[in-house]
Amino acid sequence: MTLRASPINRDDSFDLEALADSCSNRLEKELDEKGKVGSPIPLPIVDIVSESEGVKTIWIQVPSILVSNYKPGQYFMCWNPYDADGGMSRPNYNSEKPYSVGDILIDRSQIDEVIAADIGNKGRTLVGFTIKDLGKQSGELTRMKKGDWFAIRGPFGTKFPTPNAGSTLLLVSGGIGSTPMHMAAREARQKLGDKVIIHAIMGFQNENDVHYAARMEKLCDSLTITTDDGSLGIKGYPTAPLVELISNCDANNTKLFTCGPELMMKPVLEMAINSKIESYAAMERYLPCSVGACGLCMVGDRLTCKDGPVMEGDWLLQQDDFGIPNSH
Amino acid sequence: MAELSVVLPGLSLSNPLMLASGIQGGSAAALHRVASSRCGGLVSKSIGPSPREIYPGPVCVEAMDSVILNAMGLPNPGVDAFTTMMKENNFAKPMLVSIFGPDSDTFVSIAQEMEKAGATALELNLSCPHSKPGSRALIVGQQPELIREYVRAVKDSVNIPVYAKLTPNTASVSIEAKAALEAGADGICLINTVSALEVDPFAGRPIIGNLLCGMSGPAIRPIAQRKVAEVALAMRRGEIPNAPILGMGGITTGLDVARFIMLGADAVQIGSALIYEDVDIFGKIENELIEFMEVQDYPDLNSMRGIALDSLEELN
Repeated sequence: MTLRASPINRDDSFDLEALADSCSNRLEKELDEKGKVGSPIPLPIVDIVSESEGVKTIWIQVPSILVSNYKPGQYFMCWNPYDADGGMSRPNYNSEKPYSVGDILIDRSQIDEVIAADIGNKGRTLVGFTIKDLGKQSGELTRMKKGDWFAIRGPFGTKFPTPNAGSTLLLVSGGIGSTPMHMAAREARQKLGDKVIIHAIMGFQNENDVHYAARMEKLCDSLTITTDDGSLGIKGYPTAPLVELISNCDANNTKLFTCGPELMMKPVLEMAINSKIESYAAMERYLPCSVGACGLCMVGDRLTCKDGPVMEGDWLLQQDDFGIPNSH
Repeated sequence: MAELSVVLPGLSLSNPLMLASGIQGGSAAALHRVASSRCGGLVSKSIGPSPREIYPGPVCVEAMDSVILNAMGLPNPGVDAFTTMMKENNFAKPMLVSIFGPDSDTFVSIAQEMEKAGATALELNLSCPHSKPGSRALIVGQQPELIREYVRAVKDSVNIPVYAKLTPNTASVSIEAKAALEAGADGICLINTVSALEVDPFAGRPIIGNLLCGMSGPAIRPIAQRKVAEVALAMRRGEIPNAPILGMGGITTGLDVARFIMLGADAVQIGSALIYEDVDIFGKIENELIEFMEVQDYPDLNSMRGIALDSLEELN
């Protein structure tokens, strides 16, 4: 059966820019007073860029109000109404999953701002979701093409606290946990300029997996890369270089944020607690509904979808079901 | 202070505010979480014969103000895992255990397992509008003869009270209520979600992974009131046996609870409100209900139960 509404049926003369503008305008009208949409709004992919092996960034055009309301740590439910071949024949490939924003591009050419770090895009605002091929749905998303539909609803969930002027921020990521750490660094730098010290450690499996390093290097005072096999940076896990970073900072004036596999975050948070550093983790759990209905994303007595994904390190370390091998 | 306690077959509730089936109640952690609120009782997720995965998403969206659409697909851990969990946990509140199955034999065997595990009352989910992926087939709750068969089979095999959860998606719900009650049901729960469909114009396809969905939220509150009234009036007129009614559909405030009680409901269930807010909404609703009852001089729920039915009695 041919699905006549499938984006695959558009001809070459189709005006994708006009469609992106129209969908962005629609999204702006559908946002509630909190700057949130509760129902998936399809937006055409304006660009899809390779970041590393199996890692792609999907760029969509959104109204600027959406990004000014978004806070690092929050997530959107992301859905492809059609699969990469333009069909709907493989329902499991069309599921909806939570992704945090990885990057934002704002055309600041018309805005008089002190920190104008973003590059222009003809007066438009773009949001990038960086997705690693880790399964059916994420794999399908990495195979999407420019012009394909990418539907979002949100943003949902808790956010990382904003660091204070004169403080230090330690960011520790594992794998695709890079994306909220990048947004946390970006926000801290945009709000506080050089009045915040940012040290980042990014852990990867190997050098082919490394992504977002250039972005982080621009924003952070130091960046340490670790790989499990030593093919780039320090061999091993992010915990090793974290020892030295922690020993060099003032615990009372430092916050640690982490995102990655729970088996990595647990020792990272333990190190922070032992050094009396305030710590927060962005949790990732199987999260089908995002609205507290299904109850399948619980950590302890909290719902990851609404009480998370950002949770306090000391609370997480008290939960029996945090950081155990199958808890992801 | 207004007296809110309610005693129903198999359920002694401190207030009439129960969790509705399908929201959170599938695991010990989730049930403890809700039990820690000021709800009067719990209703589990509908438990089937074996573990069931959730449908492909989107599974639950807020389509517009006051409208929640969902097609979860009855995800549940299965009767074995759930009964093990029940034996290992003591919940702070009474629990109505919701069950479903593809045929009456399955309903019976799950009901017996639940009774053995300590369930004090069962809710038969006869009415999920999308229990089979993408199915347009009639559900049990739309076929009075099947309702009769299922309820009778379960009643004949367990000693605990059995409530029948009915669908609003029929011409006259008193027909289905009659079938359930004549077959021995100890109570009626209504309504389940209203069958629904929402297309996204840009994507040119439905926005729910399962395509078809059920609608809940404050927008269905008037539909639910009409269905509750229909059953309550039929009871009052002696057309169907008398039994407790658990009313539900879009309740988010204490005043909403009063609406249902005034139409004859004995207690209510609350689901979508937990999507808009956290479990502490039970406390908020209880406070609102107490305040309303005090200002209107209703000493207890019985004093306002069914009073709005008086105005409907003349209807044919």
